[in-house]
Amino acid sequence: MNIAIILAGGKGTRMGSVDTPKQFIDMYGKPILVHTLETFDIHSDIDAIAIVSLKEWHEDIKIWTRKYELNKVKWIVEAGKTRQESINNGLEVIGRECEEEDIVVIHESVRPLISNRIITENIEGAMEYGAVDTVIPTADTIIRSYDDETIADVPVRKELYLGQTPQSFKYSVVVKAHENAKQNQIDDATDDCQLVLKTGQSVHLVRGEKLNFKITTMEDLLLLKSIIKIGKLEMV
Amino acid sequence: MLTKGFKISGPKRFEIYIDNVKVKKDEALIKVDTATICKADLRYYLGKRDERVLGLKYPMNLLHEAIGTIIKDPSGTFNNGDRVVLVPNLIFECDKSSCNLDICNRKELGENYCPKAKFASSSFNGFSREYLSYPVRNLVKIPSNIENHIAVLCELISVACAAIRRVNIREGYTIAVWGDGILGYILCSVLKVMHDVKIIAIGKHEEKLKQLEVDDIYLVNDKEIYMQNIDMAFECVGGIGSQYAIDEMIKCIKPGGDIVLTGVSEKKIEIDTRKILEKGISLKGVTRSNVDDFKKAVELFAYEDFVNNIEKLNLGEICIRNIVDFHHVFEKEVNNKKLGKYIMKFAY
Repeated sequence: MNIAIILAGGKGTRMGSVDTPKQFIDMYGKPILVHTLETFDIHSDIDAIAIVSLKEWHEDIKIWTRKYELNKVKWIVEAGKTRQESINNGLEVIGRECEEEDIVVIHESVRPLISNRIITENIEGAMEYGAVDTVIPTADTIIRSYDDETIADVPVRKELYLGQTPQSFKYSVVVKAHENAKQNQIDDATDDCQLVLKTGQSVHLVRGEKLNFKITTMEDLLLLKSIIKIGKLEMV
Repeated sequence: MLTKGFKISGPKRFEIYIDNVKVKKDEALIKVDTATICKADLRYYLGKRDERVLGLKYPMNLLHEAIGTIIKDPSGTFNNGDRVVLVPNLIFECDKSSCNLDICNRKELGENYCPKAKFASSSFNGFSREYLSYPVRNLVKIPSNIENHIAVLCELISVACAAIRRVNIREGYTIAVWGDGILGYILCSVLKVMHDVKIIAIGKHEEKLKQLEVDDIYLVNDKEIYMQNIDMAFECVGGIGSQYAIDEMIKCIKPGGDIVLTGVSEKKIEIDTRKILEKGISLKGVTRSNVDDFKKAVELFAYEDFVNNIEKLNLGEICIRNIVDFHHVFEKEVNNKKLGKYIMKFAY
C-alpha cells in the first residue's frame, strides 16, 4: 500500500489582507490544498491519503473532500505543535493499517504543482532504497554567512541541491527514524530525511522540478496565479 | 484540477502550460498515456504552413494520435481505469435535424466531412497534456489484450477504414496502393483483413515496399503496373510527390475505376483531366475519420495477423518525462526515414 501524508498544519500567516493559512487560500475556486490533493487522489499508485491539519479546519476539509470527490482521503489527523510532531501524529494514525514495507509519501500541501512523475519516482525509489528525497540542483551560488553581514564561505555548487517534497520512505524506516529522534530528544526537525539519516539509513535523490515550488509568500502566490492559464477558450 | 501540457508556440519551440481542468457535462477526465506524432504535427513543429495560418494556430497543444486512461466519468459510460482511444474529430452543438448538408447520414461520408467539425491539434487543442476533459462520445474502449503501443496507432487505422468506406469494394478486385509510407502500409493491412482482393503496392523505396504484406510490389514508373487491370487505387503519398502518383494512377487504372486520395498536397498540383474524362474515372477525397471508423479499427485488433503487422511499425518506446524529452522525440521523428513511428509514453 502507498499512502500519502499531506501536511496542511501550518497556521495563518498574513498573506495580503486575509489571515488564512496559505494552504487554504482560494486559487481559482478551490483551496490550494485541494489542488494538491487532486494530484494525489488521481494518481494510480496512491492507495490512501492522510491530511494533517489543525483541528479547527477539519470540518472544512471534510466538506471539501466530499465536494471535490477526493475519494482516497481516509484520515484527517490533528496537527502537532511542530512539523515533526504533525508527521508523527500522521504516522501513528496510518500505522493502525500499515505494514512495514508500505510506502509513505510525505508532501507539503503548499506545493500544488507536484507532478505525476515526481510521485511515481518517489514511490519507486522508496520501494527500492527505503528512503528518498525530492531535490533540484541549485542554479544559484549558495553563500554561507554566520553573522548575516559577511561571507563565511562559498560551498561547491555542484554538491548542493534544494530540498523539496515529497520525501518518501518505507513505513518501517520513517517510524524507526521518529522513534530514534524521540529517544534522542530531537523534537524540532524540519525535515524527515535528517531523522532518517541519523539512523544510518541512506537517502536517495529523486529529481524534482522548479514548478514544484512552495507557496510561502504573496510573491509565490502571484507566481502560481500567473502560471495557471485559466478561462481561455479551448478553441484555437 | 491543475494539469501540465506542452504547447507549440513557434517553429521548434514548445512551452509548458499549466491549465485548470474542469470536467464538463458529457465529458470524462482522461490521463493521456501514450501518443505518436503525425506528419501534420511535424508541419506545425517545423513551421511548414502558411505564416498566417501558423499565426492563428500557435500556441496550441499538438498530437491527435493518443490513448489514455479514464480517471473519472460522471456519465457512467466508462469505468475508472478503462483504457480508451481519443477520437480527434469533434462535433459541438450540432443540430443534425436542421442540417441541410446531409453529410452525417451518408455512410460513405459522415461527420468527419462536416464543415462545423473541429479537429484536435488543428482547430482545437490536441492531446499533449497530462490530463484533459474529453467528450465521452469521442472515446472508444480498448480491448484488454491490446497493448498501448498497438492501440495508439488506432487513429491511422481509422483513417484507412475511412478511406475504404469511400468506395464500394467487390470481391476479386485488384486494388493498388500508391505510397510506401505508414498510411500505405496500414491501408494494405486493413484491406487484407477486410476484403478478399488482390493488393498491389507502388512506391519509391524497395526496402519499404518489401515490408508490406501484399500480393505484388512495384517501383514507380514500372511498366508492369499497366498490365495489372487495376479496379481501384488509393493515393497515400501526399506532398508534391502526389502529383506524379496521381498521374500514374490515372494512366494505369481501368476505365471507370475509382481513385481515392488521402494525402495532403499542401500546394496545388496538376492533374490530367483529359485522361480522367476519357476513362470515366471517379476521384474521391478522404479526410480524417469518425467515431465509427475508430470502432471498426478496434474491431480489427481481433485478428492476430493484423496486430502482428501493426506491431512492426513500432520503432521504439520513448518515455516523456519533461519538455526536453518532448523536443527530442519530435526531432527524432523529423529525421525518421524508417517505416514506423516512435511511441511516446507520457510520464511527466
